[in-house]
This record gives sequence, structure tokens and C-alpha cells, in this order.
Amino acid sequence: MQLTEDDLYRSSTQFRKWSFTAQQLHAQRQKTNLSATERVKANVARVRAQRAQQAADSDSISSGVDNCSGASTPNVVTSAVEVNCLTAEEELKIVNDFCERAIALGTHNNFPSPVVPTCIQYMRRFYLYNSPMTYHVNIILRTIMYLATKVELCTVGHINVGPFAEGAGRNVTTESILAPEYVIMQGLRYNLDVRHPFRGVKAGNMEMLEILHGKYQGPSQGLKAAEVQAQMLQIPMKVNGPAMKMPANKVEERIHQAYSTATQTLRNVAVLTDAYFLYTPSQIWLAAHLLADEPLTLFYLNLKVPPSHPTYPKLLTTLRNCATLISSHRLYVYNTLPQAEKDAREAIHQAEVKKLVQKLKNCRDPDKVDLVKLNQAQKRDAVEGGALEESKAKRRKVARETYENEADAFWGPELANKAE
Amino acid sequence: MSKQPARAAAASKRLAEDGDICPVCKSSRYLNSTMQFKINPACYHRMCDTCVERIFKRGNSTCPIAGCAKTLSWAKFRRATFEDLKIEREVDIRKTVMDVMNKKEEDFETLRDYNDYLEQVEEIAWNLILNIDVEATTGKLERWKQHQKAELDAGPPLASGKGATQRKASQSSKKKDEAETGFTFHGLKKRVAPVKEAPYDPWGGWSIAPQYYVLQDNYDVDWYKRIKTDVHHVAGGHSLQDYCSQALRDAFGGLGVFIEDEILARDTPSMDADVGTEHAVAAAMSGKDANMNVNMDDVF
Repeated sequence: MQLTEDDLYRSSTQFRKWSFTAQQLHAQRQKTNLSATERVKANVARVRAQRAQQAADSDSISSGVDNCSGASTPNVVTSAVEVNCLTAEEELKIVNDFCERAIALGTHNNFPSPVVPTCIQYMRRFYLYNSPMTYHVNIILRTIMYLATKVELCTVGHINVGPFAEGAGRNVTTESILAPEYVIMQGLRYNLDVRHPFRGVKAGNMEMLEILHGKYQGPSQGLKAAEVQAQMLQIPMKVNGPAMKMPANKVEERIHQAYSTATQTLRNVAVLTDAYFLYTPSQIWLAAHLLADEPLTLFYLNLKVPPSHPTYPKLLTTLRNCATLISSHRLYVYNTLPQAEKDAREAIHQAEVKKLVQKLKNCRDPDKVDLVKLNQAQKRDAVEGGALEESKAKRRKVARETYENEADAFWGPELANKAE
Repeated sequence: MSKQPARAAAASKRLAEDGDICPVCKSSRYLNSTMQFKINPACYHRMCDTCVERIFKRGNSTCPIAGCAKTLSWAKFRRATFEDLKIEREVDIRKTVMDVMNKKEEDFETLRDYNDYLEQVEEIAWNLILNIDVEATTGKLERWKQHQKAELDAGPPLASGKGATQRKASQSSKKKDEAETGFTFHGLKKRVAPVKEAPYDPWGGWSIAPQYYVLQDNYDVDWYKRIKTDVHHVAGGHSLQDYCSQALRDAFGGLGVFIEDEILARDTPSMDADVGTEHAVAAAMSGKDANMNVNMDDVF
């Protein structure tokens, strides 16, 4: 009974619960968007009806409900206009933008490496089944970031929620960080394990250097370590380029260069795409490495899987598809553009996102705006005023004290009286 | 049986009322209500605990009862369980005999053989109780005990070369006559040593066989060399090999997993099932269909 690496990966929750085909991913986003839209419209209609009722009761005919054109603040509840909900594509754009903000937040807080990518994957997983219209991205992002620091055993700085909340921005309290945590855990289906490609790319780098030093012991299609080493020194600079002999130190430089480029791509671009849903981590890092140095990656891949292997063409196609997905991301494209062009495109993008965030403000679910209050209402003894009723509190206190006193007695306290 | 101590206590109380007197120091329980009588299984003479302490605490001494010259040790003194000391002695003797003659019915080929064995055991017990052939019987018991011990120590068969020779020795000893082993019982099965338990395997026989990499003992890479000698890493007990193993597993885990194909293949059978329960099972197994049905509004 033997397990291969692939079998081990198949047992992970990332494969079992969070891997999709492109069509499934798209369909799920549409579905989430549709149900959220319906819910938002229904809730807004209900709140409006309530307000209209109140207005009618107080006989103030000229209140804001009827007077839609003169409303000073265009609130979703006060205006009578039909709610303009986000589409699934717009939702995805907003989530993507906040994932980019997560990178900025992580850099600002100096979180160690796996925290931000984990946070981003949690965001993407959460918003696969939830809509930004229901739970605002900004609120969720903070909590998810805090969750990610805990999951990734982040040992610097913000371990406690108090300091984390202070550093997270204005008007952020401990309660607002903690309020959505149960929603998030449920949204993530309690699957906290994210398989990243970062350690894989490091292992790949390690093996490539080992090949270069002639000490490679892994599968090599019947070649000796020295022969593999000799082949590596002759890898062309470009695909189908002329084979040329390179000194060992040049090749070592090349390997390091490819590694750092691939890592940068993985950290800054690949995490922002749907790659984690559509491909396995090993395919992702090989794709990033393929983008960084194609001949080197192909040489390495051929050692592991010979071109004569039945799945080789399929593997290569998968890797190229993944590479296309990564390289078609906006931030990857920017690297190839001159500065002016890049700035211009970024400005357009930012304006678009800003518009969408503004639009989101006007189509939020009125029931889910104040998560802190909802969370409190969910807890035991929640009452309108926030404080426990005085008589109730007093009775409980007396009961507790008697119980504690009687606990010292020989036969223990009296059993609780049912009638009470 | 459970009533026995209570009855004994009641009896001793009655004796005390009658004026129970220690045969050694002649002090009576009437004067010393806490007095207890003790016996020694060497001669079963009763004496009070004050006498026991006075005479035997410093070391072994002879029994103070006239006509009994047995050497008694302090450690062996105890309170008698039964009032009748003959019964006390019989119980002790039976206990020692049963310690040695501990065969069960399963150890014999037929019930008849077992009954014959039991009869022999009873004979030994009565010989000892009635002081008939005591020397010879205890000698035989001792030899049987040694014989059984040798059989036990032989260990599982074919465990090692040494075990094999021991087994040969025990086999040949079986053929030796009664003088050697004490007794021979007809129909007694040869003891089969229990099979040695295999060490516990926490993986239940599964192992990881990587197909894309081989974990090397050493890597000629800068950070590897640095960490290997870095006292901060080494002191914590972190294994660099483990890290490399995990990194390589990460690097190739799922390389041959084509999500598009596998997900579709995984979801198809659940569509074909037409029985409702099968649908439910499939949904529970894949977990994905169940995900779809989770109502996120339940939280608040």
C-alpha cells in the first residue's frame, strides 16, 4: 500500500472542497450573485415599506420617502429608485481589488511571507459563496487578515486582536474585527489549510542547484548525475535556441534569477488569480517558473516526466494554460510596459474600481450592514439596550452565589429547581 | 465466604469476653482490649502481637511455645483469617500447590485426562496436609515448577538461534522421565508459545512512495549548509530533512492531478444515482453538493 505525492494532494481539502473547473467557478459566482441580488432587493423593499408605514403613522407626508428627488444623501433606503445591484463580474473586480489591498496591508504590517497569500485565498474562497453586497469586503478583509496571522503562526507584532485593531485603520474596534469571525469560518467551511506553491518553488530551486553541482539523485531517465549536469550546462537561453556551453557559475546565476522572478510572480500575481482554484500548487509554481525561464523549466520537467510519458502533453498544456492565466493578469502585463503607459492604465483601472466601490455602497444588504450589532444580538442575554435587565442580572447573581456557597457543603449544592 | 471475616470478628469478640489468654505471656484480653493474636505459617502457633514484637522484631528466633523449635521470622507473622488454624493451614497449602499446578482444561486433550490431573493435584494437597511423604512431594513440586519455568522462558519458536537451541533442549527434556520433571501427566498438550506481537504501525501499512523525487541526505545549497550548522535551528530540534521532505512533497504534490478532468469525473457518478439516499450519500461524500446547500443566512 503506497501513496504517491498526487494521492497525498488528493486528500487535501484544497483539492476536495476548493478545486473547480472554470465553468463551475463561473456558475458558482453567478449563482451567488443572483441569490444575493434577490435578497438585497427583497430586504430593501421591506425596509422601505417599514419606513413608509412609519411615515404614514406620524402623518409627516413630506418626509424623505416621498421626496426622493430632494434627498440630500442618496441612501439606498431613502431613495425610491430601483436598487442597482452589482453583477458577478463587478463583484469579482471588487474582491480582486481588495485582495491587492491585502498585499499592501500585509506589507504595511510586516507580516511574514505566508500570511498575506493565505489571507487572499481565504478572501477568494469566502466570496465564492458570499457576495460583497451581503458582507462588505473591507470589514471581512480585516478579520480574514487577523485569522490568517493566527493560522500561519505569525509571531511578530499583532498577535492580539487589540493591537491589530488599532493598526488596522480608523473606526476599527476589537468588536468589529471579531464580529464576522463565525461567518467567515462557516464561509470557509472550516477548511483552513491552504497549499501554497512557495515551498515547492524553493525545493525546485534546490534540486536544480543540486543538478548543477552534479549531486542529483532523483529520477533522471537513466542518466548519471554527471551527464545530467553536462546537459544542464548546455541549456539554450531561448526555446529552440542554439545549444551553447555555459560556465557553471553563469548557470547558477541563471537558476537563482529564475527562482527570484518566479517567487515574485507567485507572491504578487499568481495569488490574485483563480489559479489556486483551477490548478494544483505544483502546477502553479512550474507555470511561474516557466514564465521566468522556459528552457530551464522544461529541462527540469523532462527529468521528472519524460516526454514519452502518456500524460506529458497534457501536463505541458495544463502548465501553459496556468502560465497564460498568470501572465494575462493586469499586474503581470504592467511589467512589460513602459512607465507612462503603466501609469495611464493603472489610473483607468483605479477609477473603475472607485466607481464600483461607490456603486457597492448603494446596493448593500440593509440587514447585514452592522455586523457588530448582529453579533451581539446573537449572543446570550442580548437585549435592546445592550445591558442585561437589572432584575434578571440580580437574580442570576444571587443564584450563582448561593450555588458557590453550597458547593462546599458535604453533599454538594441542591439540584436546580425546575420551577425556577 | 464474604461473611467469613465478620463471623471471625464476632467469634474473637466472644473469646475476649471469655478471657482469651496469650499462651506465651499469659496476659489476657480482659486487661488489654487492643490485643491481637498472630500466627506464623511455619508452625501455626498463636501468640499475642506484643509477644511477637518483643521476641521477633530484632531478628529470627525460635518459637517460644514448648516443644516447638521452629525458627520464625517477624515478617511472616500475620493475623489468621480462619479461627480454626487447621483450615488456615490447609488453605495455605492449597494456595502453594495451586501456584505450581496451574493447568486448565484447555491444556489437556480429553476431559478424562484433565480429571486424572485434578485427582493427582488433590493427592498432592492431601499428602502435604496430612504430612505424608512431605519431602518427596515438595521435591516433586519444586522440580515441576522448574520444568514449567524453563518451558516459559524458552520464548517464541524460531525467534533466534539461541531460542532454537533452547526449544530443542525443552523438547528433549519432555522425553526425560518423571525424576527430571517431577510429574508426567497423560494427555497434557505441549505449551505453544504465543506469537510475538508485531510492533505497532501507526500508518496501518501505508507508506509514501514519491514518484517525482528522491530525498537526498545532503544538499549542496547555500541556505541548507548555513542552517545545518546554525545553532539556532539545530538547538530547537528542527529537522532540516523534514523540511526538505515537505518542500519536495509540496513541489510535486498534485503535479499529475488534472483538476478539470478529476473534478468532472468525481461529480458525474452522483448525477447518475437515481435513488434519493444514494444522492444524499454521494453529496455527503463529495461534500461539494452539500456546500451548495449551506444557507449562509443561518449565522445571524
